[in-house]
Amino acid sequence: MNKTASVVIIGGGISGCAIAYNLAKKGVRDIVVIEKSFLSSGSTGRCGAGVRMQWGTEMNCRLAKYSIEYYEKANEVLEYEFDIDFKQSGYLIVAATEKEDVQFRKNVELQNSLGIPSVYLTPKEAKEIIPYMDETKIISATFCPKDGHLNPFHTTQAFANAAKRLGVEIMTYTTVNGIKVEHGRVVGVETDKGFISTPVVVNAAGGHSKQIGDMVGVDIPVYPERHQILVTEPVAPLQGPMYMGFALNIYCQQSPEGSFIMGRGDENEPRDGRINSSWHFLEEMAKSCTSLLPLLSKLNIVRQWAGLYCMSPDRQPIYGPVKELEGFYLATGFSGHGFMFGPVTGVVIAESILGETPTIPIHMLDKDRFKRGELLLEPSVV
Amino acid sequence: MLEKTGIATPENLADITPSAERMAKGPVAVIECFQRIPCNPCQTACKRGAIKEFEDINDIPGIDHEKCNGCGMCVSNCPGLSIFIIDETYSDKEALVKVPYEFLPLPAEGSFVTGLDREGKPVCRAKVAKVLNTKVQDRTPVVSLVVPKELSMTVRCFSIEDFYSDNTIVCRCEEITLGEIRELIRKGYQSLDEIKRISRAGMGPCQGRTCRQLIMQELASSTGRKMSELRMSTFRPPAKPIKLGALVGGEDNE
Repeated sequence: MNKTASVVIIGGGISGCAIAYNLAKKGVRDIVVIEKSFLSSGSTGRCGAGVRMQWGTEMNCRLAKYSIEYYEKANEVLEYEFDIDFKQSGYLIVAATEKEDVQFRKNVELQNSLGIPSVYLTPKEAKEIIPYMDETKIISATFCPKDGHLNPFHTTQAFANAAKRLGVEIMTYTTVNGIKVEHGRVVGVETDKGFISTPVVVNAAGGHSKQIGDMVGVDIPVYPERHQILVTEPVAPLQGPMYMGFALNIYCQQSPEGSFIMGRGDENEPRDGRINSSWHFLEEMAKSCTSLLPLLSKLNIVRQWAGLYCMSPDRQPIYGPVKELEGFYLATGFSGHGFMFGPVTGVVIAESILGETPTIPIHMLDKDRFKRGELLLEPSVV
Repeated sequence: MLEKTGIATPENLADITPSAERMAKGPVAVIECFQRIPCNPCQTACKRGAIKEFEDINDIPGIDHEKCNGCGMCVSNCPGLSIFIIDETYSDKEALVKVPYEFLPLPAEGSFVTGLDREGKPVCRAKVAKVLNTKVQDRTPVVSLVVPKELSMTVRCFSIEDFYSDNTIVCRCEEITLGEIRELIRKGYQSLDEIKRISRAGMGPCQGRTCRQLIMQELASSTGRKMSELRMSTFRPPAKPIKLGALVGGEDNE
């Protein structure tokens, strides 16, 4: 079953679906999205589902602000039949070290300069937002009421459905076996369901994007890092905002249907793409959670799972074309923030492929910035 | 027991059940009348003389299953609604059970209902093959139910509500109905994992212990595949809910 496409996007997560939708909306036809399992089966569907504007670099602040403002109207724009469940109940980000405190003051200044309504709080003020927190464990906190939470499965589906209505073909349960290159440019994608001729391939394969790069000899400086999450039984509304700490290695939020979702990663784990669940995580997470938010110790854990952060050296995305192979585009290296950057990824990658001026200048997020030593290190990552 | 509960015991039934050989030959009347009362319309209704003449009007009817051809005349004539026609030759795996039914509304032919046993417990989904309601039945309509063959001597009534109806709750934790699951399957969600993620079925406290199998059944029956060919979703720890506090040793997980 061989076919021809104008663009093939590898990866049926939020990035792949958003890129497909934006290209189709701009009039591109014969777009194919390839997903080896089902939509949002990878990192998108495994993420903590929080979205925030509170970042430490101007670039990430701008990417996040654009995306969150998009999510505010996504149900209508994408004409989604269900609900992406976007709730903006804020993020309370706590500082546990002097270094973090200094950084957070700078962050709020930067964020405010970009129109992000975050505020710097004392522990006492933070406790007013989450009354059962142990405020003695923190030095300060920042809060942004525009941050929030939405459903990754529905959000991905909303982009996918809108893309399909515009003629995009989404091939689920399809595996990419190779990418064909001739004279330094991409000419097609080999899948287990046949060959697809195409001049453009977008690598939006998340935790597997390095392997996709390896297929064409493009070395992408990313690695997968396992992060784990646990979810509790649902209870009555207790906690509005996300509670997050970088040094404390925790994020914890009550989802709209009542269960608490909390997670963390361990940067010292082997970078082998493992996504099994560990008992060690449960214990460590429980220790942090019950010490910082003691009330939650009474909650029953019902499930845990794991997913992959696709880590880049500066914790910012890698966007756009690569010099060594014409027609090969990257949307990867999100370092745990691909879901929240989904809307902006869709827009800027579509613009990049079509040679348009990008909504947000992303040329400095190219893959070769690491060779040039022009890292834009993001300090605020959990 | 029968006198106290009104429900026939296996011993009662052993006396009146037709032989396996007779069952294999086709439709036959099963008379579940166990109490001596002055009543004989079944005997007068039988044109084939299969129901023996009563010596005393209080007699319990005796039937010669070899003479009976399962015509069903006795079914609507029995005021106690205690005669049924069983046809185990209906198909390889199904039997036809004709039951007298004096409730309204009558089910539609071709609709699905819930087969009930003698105690009124739901035992299966049954298709209504025919509803006989002419002058001959004299307002005791006879409803033919298609049931699994092994339940031919179990199903004796039905509830008009199909317990596999769209309103049936499949996932109790998240209150997801069968109708919602069917709608997602129609829209192209093709695996348990996909349905779980989009509907939340299976994400609640029980972690899919009930709905997992039910959704698999529905996926199998609506796509014509075997359950063994379908992808199961991942079983994730913990095996049973455990308190966060218990993990740090500070709280009992009673």
